[in-house]
Amino acid sequence: MVSPVSHKTAFFLGKGGVGKTTLSASFALTLARSGQKVLVASLDPAHNLGDALGSALKNEPLTVEPNLDAMEIDLETWINTYLEESRSQLKSTYSYNVTLNLDSLFKILKYSPGTEEYAVLWAIEDIHCRLSPLYDIVVLDTPPTALSLRFLSMPTISGLWVKELSKLRETILEKRSTLVRLNPESPVKESCLDKDDDKVYGKLSTIRQRLSMLEHLFQKESFINVIVNPDELSVTEALRIKDELDRLEIPISTICLNKKGVLNNEWHIHQSLAAIPMFSFDFESSGIRTRDQLIQLGTQHLVDTFLDKRSIPA
Amino acid sequence: MNEKMKLLHLLRRGAKTLVQVQREKATSMLDFELKELENIFALLLLGGFVGIPSPPSPIAIELLPYLERELVVMFARTDMSVDPIGSLVGMLEID
Repeated sequence: MVSPVSHKTAFFLGKGGVGKTTLSASFALTLARSGQKVLVASLDPAHNLGDALGSALKNEPLTVEPNLDAMEIDLETWINTYLEESRSQLKSTYSYNVTLNLDSLFKILKYSPGTEEYAVLWAIEDIHCRLSPLYDIVVLDTPPTALSLRFLSMPTISGLWVKELSKLRETILEKRSTLVRLNPESPVKESCLDKDDDKVYGKLSTIRQRLSMLEHLFQKESFINVIVNPDELSVTEALRIKDELDRLEIPISTICLNKKGVLNNEWHIHQSLAAIPMFSFDFESSGIRTRDQLIQLGTQHLVDTFLDKRSIPA
Repeated sequence: MNEKMKLLHLLRRGAKTLVQVQREKATSMLDFELKELENIFALLLLGGFVGIPSPPSPIAIELLPYLERELVVMFARTDMSVDPIGSLVGMLEID
């Protein structure tokens, strides 16, 4: 018996202002009202998912209507929790923490490159491992392109680093045990000699497992929707997203043309995006204020495609 | 008899020391190589702070609690970096 592809997570990506939050809220609402238990989470540091759904949201899921829970990820909390954990671990391991001046180091690290992307990854990992089993479907509204592409590429890039660091660590452990074998009195005998006992190697393996789980989630288990508007800028950005996702071997499932009809000038989708299934959503000149208006956007076809794709045998 | 035992003990200690000196000499190159590798490992992880391409700093933070030896080696190597050829020549016992 073949098992179905577990496309359980849907991502909405695109340029800032194209309607990622609106479409992800509409998509989640349509799914919830069709009987699926759905969690919709915003990963954007500048949240407005709560505004779209008309509920004040927090860092933990909140039921906004039957079958639909929503949350806004607080990246600041994730960064602080993580740094605090590492700091207390460091303090308990090192005897000379005063010399290291940990407080100033951790103040810098909060703003260090990569920390925000990692916070998004930790949040996705938490949703995937802790919350996802409680729902049928998880919908993720992402930050604008730059940050989204950075966190999507993080498992692959960091995975390469961790792989090379693990190899180097193996060499170090081999050299240590050779040295101790030749010279049993060497001070190196106090250090770890075996892969199974070495905490650094163990930690590297754990990081590698976590990263490959996220890589697998992005590449094989996600339904990626790229939103465009009928204008050159958003399409150019969508092309950039496609190039980057192709490099990362993350397939785009659909292109969503939002705000169709907002401009009267002639407009064509780029050839390289034309092969991807496209869904159109009309421009709502009076704005979208209620959940019923979100439903009227017409994401039903998109939902049907998603549910069909979920049931395709692997 | 007692004197003989003392002498034997002394000879044994002397031989042991001699063997240990030879062991240290034989493994000094390997020890140097190991310290270099440990230094490189720490530098690769923490080099981002001084502009060397490094993995994202959160990876370094996760490993930092277990890198005490590598950090000690790295700081010792930093001291040596003012005269790297001198220390290499010293290690190879070139006069």
